[in-house]
Amino acid sequence: MPKDPLRTKLVDLLGIEYPVIAFTHCKDVAVAVLNAGGFAVLGEAMHTPDDIAADIAWIRDRIGGKAFGIDLVLPASAPPSGSLDELESKIPDTQREFARQIKEKYNVPDPKGPIDLHTWGGLNQELARAQLEVLLDERVPVIASGLGSPAFVLDAAHARDMLVFGLVGKARQARRQIDAGVDAIIAQGYDAAGHTGSVGTFSIVAEVAAMADDTPIIAAGGVTTGRHLAAALCLGAAGVWTGTLWLASRESDADMIIKQRLLAATADDTTYSTSISGMTMRVLKCPWTEEWSTPEAPDVLPAPYQMLLSADYLQGANDHRREDLMTEAAGQGVGFVTSMKPARQILLDMVEEALDTFERLVGDLA
Amino acid sequence: MISPDDAGAVPGVDAAVSGRRAECDGGHAIAGSHLAGRQEFAGTLTGDFVDSGDPPWRWYLLGELTRAPTGYPHDTVWCESGSVFIVDDYERQTDFMV
Repeated sequence: MPKDPLRTKLVDLLGIEYPVIAFTHCKDVAVAVLNAGGFAVLGEAMHTPDDIAADIAWIRDRIGGKAFGIDLVLPASAPPSGSLDELESKIPDTQREFARQIKEKYNVPDPKGPIDLHTWGGLNQELARAQLEVLLDERVPVIASGLGSPAFVLDAAHARDMLVFGLVGKARQARRQIDAGVDAIIAQGYDAAGHTGSVGTFSIVAEVAAMADDTPIIAAGGVTTGRHLAAALCLGAAGVWTGTLWLASRESDADMIIKQRLLAATADDTTYSTSISGMTMRVLKCPWTEEWSTPEAPDVLPAPYQMLLSADYLQGANDHRREDLMTEAAGQGVGFVTSMKPARQILLDMVEEALDTFERLVGDLA
Repeated sequence: MISPDDAGAVPGVDAAVSGRRAECDGGHAIAGSHLAGRQEFAGTLTGDFVDSGDPPWRWYLLGELTRAPTGYPHDTVWCESGSVFIVDDYERQTDFMV
């Protein structure tokens, strides 16, 4: 064993001190983690190209030349096109009525303005392409694809000395991306927040690490403590990808109500549900997810129809800050998120606990 | 969404994959949220593809769907090439493991 078990090939690849990657939608969290010796990837999938360019500049102004990453959700599949009106017209009356009953039962308020889903226009392949072009123009040090394969952009990125990371939920996706030359693989387990595959973190990390050769593997899904970090390295990972951990940090721009819910939540308070979007994702339980899981509920609709149904509930809950209705993506490690600390402290606590864990296992590392 | 009619899209036909059984580890971002979701499909590749932009981003059309999300209302789905897995190839690769 090396004297510093946290000095991994990911640390060397990124020029960081600790093999911990914060995935966050909050720029302040990203900057805090980067300046504390970790790495941060800012989720920008829902931002316009201009907003992404502005966020890149904002971060660069605050991190003194350090490397950082931007995550996009490259689509992996797409149904045939259809206008919003066409899509709305195909929602069956049964599901529409069930959504109305939920709204009435829980007194869900109307959104204060137009539903974002209806005005934003949806993420399409053309927008993803435009977002990528910003990252290439700006030579962002790391592009991470949070869903689809980034293989097609590898040559363009490498020609600009940029790294490309791919997030996978199955071993065959990892095999494909490793063969294509992706620079690091994020192996994400079922424990994770948001979209996730059906394989547990303990299984997928070990499986992908076994096929990786020199490609660094980053463990994701439920990683919230130093013991998780130590375990991930023992499984063959070169680092960890963390998300829920930062949502309740002091710098996080998450609504304080959501922060309080996260701090009080345990793994049992999350659910792997299709009721939000018609696609599988892990979120905090809320009346919407629970009602759709009852025997009386009709079938959940496929995407994008289910999202058209849930958008009114979600935006009404958020606009009026109804604690009893709100939800957020959260992984099964949420039970370890118990206090609202600065991001730097979260990182350093994780590192210290990981080192303590290794020392308990093998003795003094010094 | 993907369509051969999109601006800049170059449609074509790949005879080498036409009629091959395939699985698609699909999914995409969810409009109006910061979330994404996964979807799985299986079916037969029609051979139709679309290349868009530079570098080319290739999408294959999967039809005769044998697996799709419950209630999926379409007969086909466009799948990003990096997320398409030819079933026959996969079976051949794993034959020796039996």
